[in-house]
Amino acid sequence: MVSARGLRRVCGSVVAVDDVSIDIEVGKIHVVCGENGAGKSTLLKIVAGVMTPDRGTVRIEGAPLVPHRADEALRRGVAMVQQHFALVPEMTAVENCMLMDAFVLRPAAMRARLRGAMDALGFEVATDVPVERLGVGEKQRIEIARALTREARVLILDEPTAVLTPQEATELYDALERLRGQGRAIVVVTHKLDEIERYADVVTVLRRGKCVLAGARARGSSTADITAAIMGAGHGIGTATALAAPTDEVVLRVESLTLAPSLRGVSFEVHAGEIVGLAGVEGNGQRELTQVLAGLVEADAGSFRASGAAIAVVHEDRQTEGLVLDATLADNVLLGRLGEVSRHGIVDLTRFRTEARSRLNRVEPLLDADALAVSLSGGNQQKVVVARTLADIAGGARVLVAAHPTRGVDIGAAAVIHERIRDAARGGAGVLVVSADLEELRGLCHRILVIARGELAGSFAPSASDAEIGEKMLRRRAAS
Amino acid sequence: MSLLSGVGTFASETVRLSVPYAFAALGGTLSERSGVPHIALEGVLLTSAFGAIAVHIATGSSILGVLAGALTGALVGGLHAATVVRGGVDAIVSGVALNLGALGVTRFLLRALYGSSANSPSVAGFGFALPPALRVLLDPFTVLLVACTLGVSWLFRRTRFGLEVRAVGAAKEAAHAVGVPAARTQALAVVAGSLLAGLGGAALAYDQHQFQAQMSGGRGFIALAAVILARYRPEPAVLACLAFAALDALQVVLQAHTRLPTDLVTALPYLATLLVLIVAGRRKQSPAHLG
Amino acid sequence: MNLSARARALALSVLSAYVAFALLVTLYGESPWFVARLVFEGTWGTGYGVGQVLFKTTPLLLTGLAVECALRAGLFNVGAEGQLAVGSLAAAAVGAYLGPVPSLFAVPVAVLAGAAAGAAWAAVPVLMKARYRAHEVISTILMNRIADSLVALLLGLGLAEHGTVRTRDVALTARLPRLSAVVGAFRGSAVSVALLAALLLVFLGPLFFRRVRIGREINLVGQGAIACRAAGIPVTRRLVQAFMLSGALAGAGSMSTVLGYKGYFEQGLGAGVGFTGIAVAMMGRRDPWLLLFAALLFGTLDQGGLAINAYVPKELMQVVTATVIVAVAWFERRGRGATP
Repeated sequence: MVSARGLRRVCGSVVAVDDVSIDIEVGKIHVVCGENGAGKSTLLKIVAGVMTPDRGTVRIEGAPLVPHRADEALRRGVAMVQQHFALVPEMTAVENCMLMDAFVLRPAAMRARLRGAMDALGFEVATDVPVERLGVGEKQRIEIARALTREARVLILDEPTAVLTPQEATELYDALERLRGQGRAIVVVTHKLDEIERYADVVTVLRRGKCVLAGARARGSSTADITAAIMGAGHGIGTATALAAPTDEVVLRVESLTLAPSLRGVSFEVHAGEIVGLAGVEGNGQRELTQVLAGLVEADAGSFRASGAAIAVVHEDRQTEGLVLDATLADNVLLGRLGEVSRHGIVDLTRFRTEARSRLNRVEPLLDADALAVSLSGGNQQKVVVARTLADIAGGARVLVAAHPTRGVDIGAAAVIHERIRDAARGGAGVLVVSADLEELRGLCHRILVIARGELAGSFAPSASDAEIGEKMLRRRAAS
Repeated sequence: MSLLSGVGTFASETVRLSVPYAFAALGGTLSERSGVPHIALEGVLLTSAFGAIAVHIATGSSILGVLAGALTGALVGGLHAATVVRGGVDAIVSGVALNLGALGVTRFLLRALYGSSANSPSVAGFGFALPPALRVLLDPFTVLLVACTLGVSWLFRRTRFGLEVRAVGAAKEAAHAVGVPAARTQALAVVAGSLLAGLGGAALAYDQHQFQAQMSGGRGFIALAAVILARYRPEPAVLACLAFAALDALQVVLQAHTRLPTDLVTALPYLATLLVLIVAGRRKQSPAHLG
Repeated sequence: MNLSARARALALSVLSAYVAFALLVTLYGESPWFVARLVFEGTWGTGYGVGQVLFKTTPLLLTGLAVECALRAGLFNVGAEGQLAVGSLAAAAVGAYLGPVPSLFAVPVAVLAGAAAGAAWAAVPVLMKARYRAHEVISTILMNRIADSLVALLLGLGLAEHGTVRTRDVALTARLPRLSAVVGAFRGSAVSVALLAALLLVFLGPLFFRRVRIGREINLVGQGAIACRAAGIPVTRRLVQAFMLSGALAGAGSMSTVLGYKGYFEQGLGAGVGFTGIAVAMMGRRDPWLLLFAALLFGTLDQGGLAINAYVPKELMQVVTATVIVAVAWFERRGRGATP
């Protein structure tokens, strides 16, 4: 159906995709996997015409994709659901679907088509509400249904389950299997091994832009070979060091915190030396909780009290909230802390440089203090953010709130960041880690809280199963 | 003067004065909705007023004059689109430059063609033997304005192009990802919008039966404020322009009948706009690209 | 962008501007070469011309720096025009009412009066932005118009000398000495000590944004306000400070026109300088040498207009200026390989 040969694409100074070929067949679920930054998204964006390759060709049913554009690929039946959804937030599902349709709009007809597509998939989503008011899972369903209204025969999904609960993920794969049965080709990007094990008919593994494994596999077969291919030989992850049990001292006490409409009476405590995980589907109040704790937003009701100086926060979106991308690392690691290296309002540049250097050294001695933040990989960017908060802790803060500290970060950097978070706890700080990745929380935390619709829905030991935790995460939205 | 005829005069004056504003605001709505700030509306009004009069003087035809006004507007819009959408130049910088260029080029041509630094010779315009109130309502520009307002509204609600303009203005990346040709859509919106604003310039010129240096007098900026106030929707933008025109009409009345200093009175529309921006700011929702 | 690419961008810009110039001159029935020679002779050809160019350059340095200061914080100050107008009136009014006090006192007071008025005029739009999210481009444009009316109103209400549209003369001790007193070649030209003050400020600018905590934070806020807010920088306060400083610089532009040249204020004095300041700042790109170059370029064009007015309407130079602004921005984008 689709066959790409010798694709190569350079992004900045990195060869994102290097001489990769891929064949996509109908009636198959094709999984593309690899570490963060391995080139999965770039490869499939090229296949779907969203990005142009520097070299290589994409053929759809034998004919080359010319011009190499998304609308042309779509016209010929290849649709992609990207990680950051390509929906216009202020427009409804129906309006979003009409974007590439007839010149004079026919909303009624489009609504019928969209409903038809949703029925075929077993979806039920409001079609006439601005999509910005819908949850991530619902937006994803709209994207998939939209692809079907365009008669897509190849459907490419980029990390579709990253933002879903385990139950929602299962429902998604049910729908995808249904589509496969209708003679469509499905391509899924994921790095979750259980999904590969259960659903993949064909697997392609990328590592550092190169294809290291490709081929059909029996469903349900072992994934050891794939794991090895993803990691590469001799690429061991540093083993996590042990954590002591938390003390009795409470360093963060949150009491019935309420912020309409996102938080409803959230109460919990974090002890000195404790790492508490906060699990949940994105958009269930985690972001608002972080912002209230960071002092950026005032709560409607309830209170929180933290020991020590102000709470140190790793914000969830490092590119906008964490870093000033066009500034140097030195400026970033001292962002908002210039007072510490100034006298009478004048910055002492010598102290500025030595202080920045010593802060960066806590996480990564190889970082160049004069480099611009924008030039770093995601992992190194996040290290800079972590370095700043660690300095806050050294400066007297006793609570660390880390929102999605390793999202989009390569495995090596994630290990470093986890270890620094453990260091903070060992030093007597209380840590709250917000994450959508249960595996991460299991490896890091003493206990895991689950948040759903702005309320705490349960507290679990790290050993609790996906099903147990997932069930609390889901808690169907009532009348929204 | 009876009260009734006074009110009637005031209303018809308001409608008459609103026409240039409203055309500019419609054009501004199209452009800004696509995510391209258009402070060059001021320059569009000025150059198209000149274009209309110059062609009228050359050909003697008011139809050709109006067409020339619209085309001049589209031409300036084309320059704005080329520099901003294609050239990647900041839209404010391009707008400032075009406004300056418009000021210079019209005065230059005024002196070059008509040997005057103040105004062009007079032209006849569209004369109909109708009572004043009806004359305003049946004025070709008023009729055209109503048609254009409905047209732009239809474009946004009922056509894919309108939808694409909204999509590009609200979420350029998302629109691009589904294959909307973002640059082309923006360029078209800016040119079409400037064409409409060009009709406003022609209306302004025919209203005075001549071109006068700097005759746009800040109307483009006020129209832009109307667009923001109306939250980038066509009909409310036109209504906001009526309100501003009412202030203009009031200004004439105040100058004639009170002893308020003239300079205070001329500042009124701008002060009012400033206040209106504060009110609008409480519930503002602008295309993402306008920040 | 490397040096040769920048030089090429500049050369292409000058070429485009010349094409526009030649086109209009030819249209007018004059010879482009002849008029171009007039432009040169009226500007860099004589000591007087150079002095006049430097005089025209002085307020552009300050409005250019003003616009840059706001841009550093991520704000667009299209209101330098109005800020300069109210600043000029304030400097003239205060200067006129100063009694017989020494220059060491009178000059700073008059300059500060202009700066303070400019800052106050800039406070309105930035506070509107902070409080009501009113876009500063629109509100500063409106403030320019209101400034015109206010200035006329105040002149009419008694600041103007009876029967004129100009203020009383500024006290002699509050005037700035002309440079022709030192450099004989500038004889007759209006360039004054204000030029040196403006240059000092322009070259101090980078130091302020690097070494002074507020300045450095203003710069960071402009690069990423969200991250700054999350990191505890008082973002709103920095925005207000940057914009008021911008207004103060624009208002201080009056020192060359009011205190260094006319010795009084009249309606329209310094008009256009605020808008051209935007172009100066964009071309200056945070480099004092580039800023100086840009101000000299536009100062030359402005003075050049006066030199040719007897043969070709001086408004021609506005068109050339507009072409330069667009062309520079365009070719620099191209040079950096930016794709739209």
